[in-house]
Amino acid sequence: MSSLVPLMPLLVVGIGGFILMLVDAFSDEKAELATLSSTILFAAAAISGVLAASKTGIAAPPPGVAPFLATSAMAQFMNATICTGAGMSALLAGGYLREHALERGEFYVLLVLSAFGAMVLSASTDLLSLFIGLETMSLGVYCMVAFRRSSPRAAEGGMKYFLLGSFAAAIFLFGAALLYGATGHTDFDGIGKAIAEGTSSARFVLLGMVLVLIGLAFKVSAVPFHMWTPDAYEGAVTPATTFMSVVVKAAAFAVLIRMLIACFGGEALSNLVTGWPAIISALAAATMVIGNLAAATQANVKRMLAYSSIAHAGYIMVGLATLASQDPEVRATAVSAVMFYLAAYTVSNVLTFGSLIALGTYAKEAVSYEDLAGAGRRHPLIALPFVIGVLSLMGFPPTAGFLGKWYVFSAALAADDSLLWLVILGVLSSVIGAYYYLRVVVYLFMKAPEPGAPIAVPLRSGYVVLALVLSGYFVLKMGITPAHYIDIALAAATKLG
Amino acid sequence: MQIELGHFLALSATIFGIGAIGFLVRRNVLVQLMSIELMLNSVNLTFVAFNRYAPQNHLGQLFAFFVIAVAAAEAAVGLAIVLSFFRLRKTVHSDRADTLKN
Repeated sequence: MSSLVPLMPLLVVGIGGFILMLVDAFSDEKAELATLSSTILFAAAAISGVLAASKTGIAAPPPGVAPFLATSAMAQFMNATICTGAGMSALLAGGYLREHALERGEFYVLLVLSAFGAMVLSASTDLLSLFIGLETMSLGVYCMVAFRRSSPRAAEGGMKYFLLGSFAAAIFLFGAALLYGATGHTDFDGIGKAIAEGTSSARFVLLGMVLVLIGLAFKVSAVPFHMWTPDAYEGAVTPATTFMSVVVKAAAFAVLIRMLIACFGGEALSNLVTGWPAIISALAAATMVIGNLAAATQANVKRMLAYSSIAHAGYIMVGLATLASQDPEVRATAVSAVMFYLAAYTVSNVLTFGSLIALGTYAKEAVSYEDLAGAGRRHPLIALPFVIGVLSLMGFPPTAGFLGKWYVFSAALAADDSLLWLVILGVLSSVIGAYYYLRVVVYLFMKAPEPGAPIAVPLRSGYVVLALVLSGYFVLKMGITPAHYIDIALAAATKLG
Repeated sequence: MQIELGHFLALSATIFGIGAIGFLVRRNVLVQLMSIELMLNSVNLTFVAFNRYAPQNHLGQLFAFFVIAVAAAEAAVGLAIVLSFFRLRKTVHSDRADTLKN
């Protein structure tokens, strides 16, 4: 029995995007597009959350869809993460854009349709749907970065992101073409089978795999493919930065998981020394160390958070390296750890960026550490979510971020002794992370603003408050009672397809 | 002389290389955009060539059509962003994109 139910999250977001466009075109200027777009995204998140947690299993999608998109519990879990992150970014946009006199409807349309692209990307089981999802997501995000048309910094950030993003897409495509040529298939299972049977040309497969991984490494901003990240994050309006840091990353990692297992999961390619685990481990090590070191030297909080998101990509890649194990149980643990990490990282990052938005008003946006000086003593209610957010990003118990790191690192330790060095490096580099995250807290509570410096006035917006309350709730809930989420993730991790 | 798969692949690899080097070496954003188009077209050539020598399905040709369509959308967005940069900075040189620095 096939049914449309497993596709509901995608349909809600896709059709919702077009409705949003019509509402923007035909209604008066007072239309509450932030309410509408976040309602669409949260509805999709709720549907996919219910599907991911359902005990009875998920019905098969219509026959034409199955070869291209997964509707498994894992795909639904990632849909829920992506839609929650996107919905919270839409709420933040509702407060931020109005305050900074940028309220134009196209931002919400771009946001919802990019989220649709991200869902297709994260659920794809074929190189073709992967490519289309990737581009649908990226084209929207390029426009969101360059959204503040009067700002040279936004145009510059958008341009750099666009150029490197398209370059990466071209590299990915060349890799996809080589994989197709070597195996005669574009679907992940077909490629994996052809590689396992040895009917493919090993040189083409290896080159194609490396190029595809490089293309996706650009999207998750792994070092050394991270050059665009700080500039795009800093130039973009802050809700767009939030969207990029949570949604784009979650979608790209979801498809990497599926690809590494279905396409390249065979023994030959997932060899620890000669296969992709060597590449992923090297990228993870470089990303963790360089991301944390660079974040520690930033004077701008938004740039610091950009490098912190690079560092988090490194921790997640430790989880990807664990997928090299041939033991299905170890693999499932690692997949569920990465899924939990992505969900925890999504809510923590929304909380941190949301607090940064809440601390700035028109022409007085909080961007540097100096802007935060003393704000915690003047406005403790806004500093509180900021502190919870940075503590969660730092990995301090009892927050979601702590458990995310714990699950990923313990999965790596349980899998293979040869990953021990990576885990030690990860723990050591998160110590550097503590320095720059705690610096935020120090500035909030222990510094006074320079005499004559502009003093941050908090933003008054119900949207931002709602986003902070929601993300703060999930940060603490996933940190204190994680069993529910990790059980769902673990059950989903056994059904990737 | 018989034209084989190898010839097609050599040609498309050469075009891809020219595009990649052009993207990395040139500093004019419009030329960089054109270099990306070269890379995408070499991908199309690769797909179609592989499909010609393994015609049990038409996935390669199908993929090439999608690449063409997406490349057009990408060019539209890219030129719009370059235009907005040009309006503010009166230049299309990526060396002048230097306001965002640590």
